[in-house]
Amino acid sequence: MKTEIKQQEGMTLITVQGELDTDTCIEFQQKTAPVAEVPGAKVELDLSALDYISSKALRIIISLEQRVAEHGGSLTITAVSAPVREIFDMTGLSQTMLADCKNKTTKE
Amino acid sequence: MKNLTPRKISLLLLAAFGLLIIAATLVAIRFVRDESRVYQIGHLREHLQTIGQEVAENLDAGDPDSFEFLEISARIQRENENYSYVLRDSSGMILSPSFVAGKQIKMENIRPLKHDGSAFVADIWGARCLVVIWPFPDRPLELLGIYDNSYIFDDVHLTTGAFLVLLSTVFAILLLLSWFWIIPALERMYARRDKAERELQNARTLQQKAVTQAFPLDPRFDVYAVLQPMKEVGGDIYRCGMLDGKLLFVIGDVSDKGTEAAFMMFLVIGFMRTRVKIGVDLGELMGEVNGLICDNPDFEMFCTLFLGCIDPDTMEMVYCNAGHTRTLVDGEFLDQDPQLIAGIQPGFRYHTQRLQLRPGARLLLYTDGVTEARNPERAFFGEERLQAWMRERPAAASCEEDCRSLLETLDAFRGSARQNDDIAIMSIRIR
Repeated sequence: MKTEIKQQEGMTLITVQGELDTDTCIEFQQKTAPVAEVPGAKVELDLSALDYISSKALRIIISLEQRVAEHGGSLTITAVSAPVREIFDMTGLSQTMLADCKNKTTKE
Repeated sequence: MKNLTPRKISLLLLAAFGLLIIAATLVAIRFVRDESRVYQIGHLREHLQTIGQEVAENLDAGDPDSFEFLEISARIQRENENYSYVLRDSSGMILSPSFVAGKQIKMENIRPLKHDGSAFVADIWGARCLVVIWPFPDRPLELLGIYDNSYIFDDVHLTTGAFLVLLSTVFAILLLLSWFWIIPALERMYARRDKAERELQNARTLQQKAVTQAFPLDPRFDVYAVLQPMKEVGGDIYRCGMLDGKLLFVIGDVSDKGTEAAFMMFLVIGFMRTRVKIGVDLGELMGEVNGLICDNPDFEMFCTLFLGCIDPDTMEMVYCNAGHTRTLVDGEFLDQDPQLIAGIQPGFRYHTQRLQLRPGARLLLYTDGVTEARNPERAFFGEERLQAWMRERPAAASCEEDCRSLLETLDAFRGSARQNDDIAIMSIRIR
């Protein structure tokens, strides 16, 4: 698992690669936690290189989104890989969280 | 000491050991010093010839009149050495050839070391230097040597000694640190860990209690379920029961572990029990559970849930899915709408689905610990393997046998890899 956080044109870009399982998601949580503390942060999450996401990791992403929103910011998932989309579909999260993902891709 | 814990005893032993090292070091240094003195005498003798030779050459080559030598009756009373001289030029400077790298020693820096005048001490660069002169019978004024104490610092023995001193100093510091800081910190950590362990134990008990139940003894159903938590407490739940002649069941995965998850499980199950008795529609009930979890944001918890109700008279199953894994019905995955996991969006509207079951239908409900079990090659057990397993199950097998068989299959698949998530399995058969 590899998490990259970049600041670009006022946006925070988070890219995750590999597998977010029960063990590695802790590192992801620690790395991304400060992102949510910035008031009004515009966060973009790229999950296109993510091969697997555990339910615990899913919870961390949802928490992250809620925290970002609490601080007046927004979190957008810009891209997902097929296996991750499957999980989002199964949990019904694609309707809420991946809606932005589609918008984003149609805009570009 | 009233609180003599094993840790403190070991620390005391460590302290005794440290003192022993320090004592040994001091003794060693004493020996080293003695040894180096012996060595230096030998060293001096080695140099006598060379330096004497050099001085002799200097005197031969240079102008002897520019030197005014003052003889100081000095005597080294050692073995065969007889007289010692300090060599001084007319400007009152002591000549110290090669041995002190061309530096000159001022006369006033030279102090007698012994009252009989057999040895003198001079200061060169802050180091104590013993200056001695050796008389040859035919050349009474030759400079024979300079005894430099400073060189003993390069001596291998003294380096060892200094190293030992350093070691014992570090040891002493560590000892102090551990007594006042590391040990208390360790004890606090242990106390916290014990507390956490107790909490975990409580939560484990809670969880087991939440799922331990008598399976319905209705002759029309065979129901069995197992929960295999990871070594820590998990958040998988299941529950089933008869209500008005119908089989009601729920399976879920709370997105957290520990006491809070177990507590939330109780909350959800208790709540559902009350509502189900009133006869609420499953979709509506799911919405209420969702609201309940959303109303407790401090828990920061989400929950996948699958609610089902089978009427044995009509053979109809009504169900509602909130982001849970796909249920298997007779070896086929159930058509279940992917509705949002509970606890994320307040007011989310869940709807109920229906399915006509055939007589003798078998259902398998499970949590993601089953499909996401991994083998040592990191491959997932996956839905395909699960489906294949179910299709191979003999029709006569009981639900308990099904559950055991699946656990065994998962164990075999996992091989040497450890279990990475909780596993809950519920098997239902209509007789």
